[in-house]
Amino acid sequence: MTTFSEVTAERQIKSAPLSHVSVEVGHLYLEDYQLGADRLREQFALVTPWLETVRRDWRARVPGGRARVSTCFLIDDCFGRFSTPAEVVPMIRKAADDNGLTIDYLARESACVSADGVPLAKLVADRLVPDPPPDTRGWRRSTSETGWLANGVRSPMPRSGQAMRGPLRWEPPSQNAKRGHSIFVDVELWKDGPDGRVWSCPFLASVWQLLRLGLLRNEGELPVQPVSAGDAFPADWDELPPVVRLNPAATPFSAYTTMSVLSTRFLQVELAVRTILSQVSVDPEVLGQVQERSADERLRLAEQLVDRVSYVFL
Amino acid sequence: MLIMGEVRTGLLQNSAEVPESDLSSVLGLLAGERVRISRRPILHALSPDLLTGVDCLLPSAAQAKIRGVGTVVSRCSITGGRVVQSSSYVRVTKAETGHRLPWSHYLARPGVIEVLGKAAAADLADGFLAFGLPGEHLDVGSISDRLMDTVQAAESLDRASPFRSTQTRLRWVAASGEPGVRFVLGEGVERRVRITYEGEFSTAVLDLCEDLALHDWLLTTLLVIVERARIGAAPRAEVSARLAPAVDALLHLWMPGARIHPSLAPLWESLELAPGFTRQWQSLVERVRDQFAVNTLALLLRETNPV
Repeated sequence: MTTFSEVTAERQIKSAPLSHVSVEVGHLYLEDYQLGADRLREQFALVTPWLETVRRDWRARVPGGRARVSTCFLIDDCFGRFSTPAEVVPMIRKAADDNGLTIDYLARESACVSADGVPLAKLVADRLVPDPPPDTRGWRRSTSETGWLANGVRSPMPRSGQAMRGPLRWEPPSQNAKRGHSIFVDVELWKDGPDGRVWSCPFLASVWQLLRLGLLRNEGELPVQPVSAGDAFPADWDELPPVVRLNPAATPFSAYTTMSVLSTRFLQVELAVRTILSQVSVDPEVLGQVQERSADERLRLAEQLVDRVSYVFL
Repeated sequence: MLIMGEVRTGLLQNSAEVPESDLSSVLGLLAGERVRISRRPILHALSPDLLTGVDCLLPSAAQAKIRGVGTVVSRCSITGGRVVQSSSYVRVTKAETGHRLPWSHYLARPGVIEVLGKAAAADLADGFLAFGLPGEHLDVGSISDRLMDTVQAAESLDRASPFRSTQTRLRWVAASGEPGVRFVLGEGVERRVRITYEGEFSTAVLDLCEDLALHDWLLTTLLVIVERARIGAAPRAEVSARLAPAVDALLHLWMPGARIHPSLAPLWESLELAPGFTRQWQSLVERVRDQFAVNTLALLLRETNPV
C-alpha cells in the first residue's frame, strides 16, 4: 500500500482537558474593589452554598461521584485599571479562604482580547454567523461591517427623503425565533475609535465563556494554557498570565459546561452574551471531540452551546 | 436528501503566478485557521470553511414554496497560483418540526439546510440546476461572488491578469445511489453536474466537483485563447503572441483527478471516455505547440533565406 500526505495540507486539532463544570465564583470590577475586602467576603459568602449545590449535583450525575468541578474568578482590567496583581490577588484569595472557598483559576478580562499573542476576540468575531431573518437568501451586509449583532429584524429606518412624503408609520422590530411575541435584542460588539477597536463587555464575556468551554483553537492549538502561580504576583497587570492556576490540585480550567454565580446586575450582559453565543460557529471537529469525550464518560451534553451555559443570579 | 452546490472558477487577478508564500494571506479568511496547502502534484491552497446563514425559499422546478433554514458552507481555493475557485454547497434535509428553531440548532449542523414542510429531492435538484434568477430563492451565487471578490481584493494581488477570461459557473447536485456522473455543458458559462455516490456524503464529492469545474474552465479558457489567436488568418508572429499567455499560465495546470478520493476516480474516468476532456485538451495543446513550432521554423527559414 502506498500513502502520501503533506503536513501543510492536513488539519490537526488539539483537544482540551476538561472538567465537568467550570464555576465562575465572581467577577471583580473597579467599583467592587473600591468597596474593599469586606465586599468580596460578602460576595463569596453568598456564592459558597451555590457552589456546594453544583458539586453535589455533579457528584450525583457522574459515575462513581468523581465530579471534576473547577472554580474561576475574573478580574476586569479592561474598563479601568486599578491597583496591582500583587495587591489584589492575595486579597481575593484571603476573602475566599475566609469562606472556605477555593479559587482554582484567576483570569484577567484583557486576556479575552488577546492572550499570549493570539487575538482571541478577533478569532471569535470571525466565527460569528448572524441569525438570518426570514427571507435571507444569501450574502448580506454583516456584523463584521456594522459591529452590531441582533436576534432578529430591526425596526425599519426611514430612508432619507422619505420623511418629506407624509407621516411615517412605525414598524416593530421582530425576533427571529419568537414565540408569539418578540424579545428583540441588539448588541454592540465593538466600537472603532482613534485608538483602534474597543470590544464591548458582552463580547469579551462571550469569549470568556468559550474559553471556559474549551472550544477555541488557534491554528489547531489551545490558545490559553493556565500558568501555575506561586505566592508572588507581579506589580503590573500585563505581566500576569492570562489565566493563572492558583490551586495546584485543581481539575482542568475548561469544562463541558459552565455555571456563573453572578450579581443580578449582570443579567443584561449575560442576555447579550447568550445572543452572541447562539450565533458563534464552533469548529465541528472541536465539538466532535467534546461530544466523544463526554460520551466516553456516559454524559449527555446539551446539543446547543448556549444550553451548556448556566447561571445563578443573586 | 440532496446536496447541492455551485463552483465559480476564474483567473486570479494577478500578473504573475502567486507564490506559495503569499497564498496564506490571500486565502486567510478566518483568524486562527490555517490555509491548507499541498504541493504535490500541483500547488493547491484551500481556505478555511466559512458559513452563511439563510432562511428563504429553495429553488423548485414545480414552483412549489419550499422554505429552508440553515447555513451554506463556502470555501475558496487557488490552483497553481493562477486559478481561483469559490465553492458553496448545502446539504438539504427534512426538518423534524414544521417551524423554525433557535439559531443555535442550525449552527450545530454546519452546511445543512432544513426544509420546513414537504419537498421532493428531484424537484429541488431540477429547480437548482435550472439556473433561474434568484428572485425570492436561495442565492448561493451571491455568497460565492462575495467570497471571490474578497479573495481577488487581497492586498498582495496586483489586479492585472495576463489575459482576458470569463468565470464559469458549475452547479452540481449529488445524492447517494449507484455511482454515476452526468455533465451538461450550457451554452454560456453555465455547467450542470449530477452525481450519485455510494455510502455517506463526504467532502470528497465536493473535491470532485471542484476538480471538474477547474478542468472544464481550463478547457473553456484555452479554447477561447486559441479562437482569439485566429490561426491561419492572422500573421504567424501575431498568432504566437496571442497564444503565449496560454503557454505561460495554463498548459501545466492540467491534472485531472489529481486531488480526488480514489473511490470517486471511476467517475472522472467515465467522463474521460465520453466526452473525453483530456483528449480535447491534448489536441488543443498540440495545436498551440504546433503553432509555435511552425512560427519558429518560419523565423529560422527567414533568417537563413532572407528575402
